[in-house]
Amino acid sequence: MKKWITVLSVVLLSCALLAGCAGGGKEEPENVANGNEAPPGEVTITIMNFKVEIAEQFNKLKEEYEQTHPGVKLQIDTLLGGDNYNTQLKARFASGNMPDIFNNEGYKQLDAWVEYLEDLSDQPWVKNEIEIAKEPMTRDGKVYGMPVGIEGLGFLYNKDMFEKAGITELPRTISQLEDAVVKLEAAGIQPFVNSFDNWFGLGFHNVNNPFAKQSDPNAFINGLNDGTARITDNAVFKDWVKLFDLNIKYGNKNSLTTDYNNASTMFATGQGAIYQSGNWLQPVLDKLAPDMKVGLLPMPISEDAAMNDKLFVGPANNWVIYNKSPVKKEAKEFLNWLVTSEAGQKYLTKEFKFIPAFSNIEVNPDDIGTLGAEVMKYIEQDKALGWHWSKFPDGAAQEFGASMQKYIAKKVTGDELLSEFQAAWEKMNTR
Amino acid sequence: MRRWSTSQLMQQTVFVGPALFAYAIVMVLPFLLGLYYSFTNWNGVSSQIDWLGLKNYVTILTDDPDFGSSLWFTARFTFTVVLISNLLGFLIAYLLSKPMKSRNMLRTIFFMPNVLGGLLLGFIWRFIFTEGFAAIGESTHIGFFELPWLSTEASAFWGIVLVSVWQGAGYLMVIYIAGLTNVPSDMLEAAAIDGASGFQILRNIVLPLIMPAVTICLFLSISWTFKSFDLNFSLTQGGPFKSTESVAMNIYYEAFKNNRYGLGTAKAVIFFIVVTVITMIQVSITKKREVEM
Repeated sequence: MKKWITVLSVVLLSCALLAGCAGGGKEEPENVANGNEAPPGEVTITIMNFKVEIAEQFNKLKEEYEQTHPGVKLQIDTLLGGDNYNTQLKARFASGNMPDIFNNEGYKQLDAWVEYLEDLSDQPWVKNEIEIAKEPMTRDGKVYGMPVGIEGLGFLYNKDMFEKAGITELPRTISQLEDAVVKLEAAGIQPFVNSFDNWFGLGFHNVNNPFAKQSDPNAFINGLNDGTARITDNAVFKDWVKLFDLNIKYGNKNSLTTDYNNASTMFATGQGAIYQSGNWLQPVLDKLAPDMKVGLLPMPISEDAAMNDKLFVGPANNWVIYNKSPVKKEAKEFLNWLVTSEAGQKYLTKEFKFIPAFSNIEVNPDDIGTLGAEVMKYIEQDKALGWHWSKFPDGAAQEFGASMQKYIAKKVTGDELLSEFQAAWEKMNTR
Repeated sequence: MRRWSTSQLMQQTVFVGPALFAYAIVMVLPFLLGLYYSFTNWNGVSSQIDWLGLKNYVTILTDDPDFGSSLWFTARFTFTVVLISNLLGFLIAYLLSKPMKSRNMLRTIFFMPNVLGGLLLGFIWRFIFTEGFAAIGESTHIGFFELPWLSTEASAFWGIVLVSVWQGAGYLMVIYIAGLTNVPSDMLEAAAIDGASGFQILRNIVLPLIMPAVTICLFLSISWTFKSFDLNFSLTQGGPFKSTESVAMNIYYEAFKNNRYGLGTAKAVIFFIVVTVITMIQVSITKKREVEM
């Protein structure tokens, strides 16, 4: 009898346990459902933000938006960009906990997510979007994302150091750049700050240079995909290796273990004169070295001054809306508010320091910082080339980065570097 | 009724059932799902999943030198770390099982690195290697500190080995200490009276008696280092040029970064088989050497 009671009580307890679990599971969907059905009363838009740099400013925006839009709450989850962002997004997707607004870089990333993205073609801001920002998020004539902003990539340089080294004219060709670098070294200044630790700066930003300087980058990339073009016998790539050589030769010690944070600090604290980066470094520089005089140089690979005097400019990232989101309407309204209302525009330029991708937004160069202003100058003078890494086959950029690290460590020659690029492209493209 | 409800089967269902159920949901089901995905081209997001048959496996075995080299790295790494950390762990345990004043404090100190997480350790050591060592090297000119730590293949490899041993040895030490304290002192005394030297006692009495601890320690350290991910991720990010990319990292990049979830899970399945075979061989070998008292 005793045994029987024990067994029974165990069964009952187990049932209670299971029931408890089940109850817990049930509650959640109910809450969500309530959120859906509740008329305008109270909705929450979840935003997954990829830019850590603007996390604080975003919270200010949240307060203002919630005040002017009663009934709408914003929930902002800020995550570090790159690897973590996409992994987190996939994890949240798999657990059915998708944010309503998230980020997408376009091209290959758009391929992966396109079936879950809301078509935004009918939004009022589309007509004001500048051409260069449209391409990544357009598929079959439909627009799936709103560009966050425009960013420019090139060599950041320390104006005081250039002056000290007696460089009066800014280098526009590779030989001028070499002259400048030699002068810097003669003046006892470390010419380049290199961060070769991560594949990101190498395989994305640095390699973009020869891709963008093809006479028709898209045709070249298509050619690589169908096998009619090759990296190995491409003159632009061979020129680019020379710039890379210069970079390595006049670079800092242990560049292979200098990471992004280290390198940024080194540049900001005057331990080097030239640093491959972009206007996104402005908030960091403002904090570390507010008095520093800094400018942006193009990255010349040959003697053609007209072709080389150009910055690489692209849409930083894009806002997209999850098409199964229950608050689609409110999410669209939010994005629209961001680029059409005065308050939204103020946040975009003054607080986030983004270069807007919309022709209707007036920008005061003082608001977006020196670097942003320089990028805008290049855009206005039509001296801008595009960003192409999002068109690379998945995984190719990492292979590029690894091959470049081998080159830095002198494990491969320049020709071998380019044939490794070619092999990496073919391998990643066919998988 | 009564007989049925108290039968063996019923009791087992009741007592083991809930645990088995949880295990099935949390471990077995995802494993089977992963096995299924490894035969498809799923990208991790899309609702479109195409059956590929064995194509992923063929790709990995014939056309993926990176997976091969990461497997080779992991094998070398595991061998080195398992060997060094077990020897060191045992040595420390042996010394700390002798009566000593500062014994408890030393045990705590050696165990400490294990309390910190691997990711954190990686970041700390990254700083020590790239900043600390460089600074010491500059002021003292000792060759060891002037090496280009983490930026060549060899220094990155030994850098990771150093940190893993430092982290793992303390844990193994605790298991060895537990084993050593279970060795009956009358046996040791008897051996000493018979005139056995310290080394003879260690080899012929202590070692056979702590074989169960050796089995556990080897098993733990092999499976840990084989699956190592966080330390490589934070210390070297697999660099320079992928030379310290462990298999777990390779799988992670393939599945999540390259959007090839199917290929990634296929790699994971292969990896699973490799780890299972190796640990089974190890356990069966060391089990044979265990002696019953």
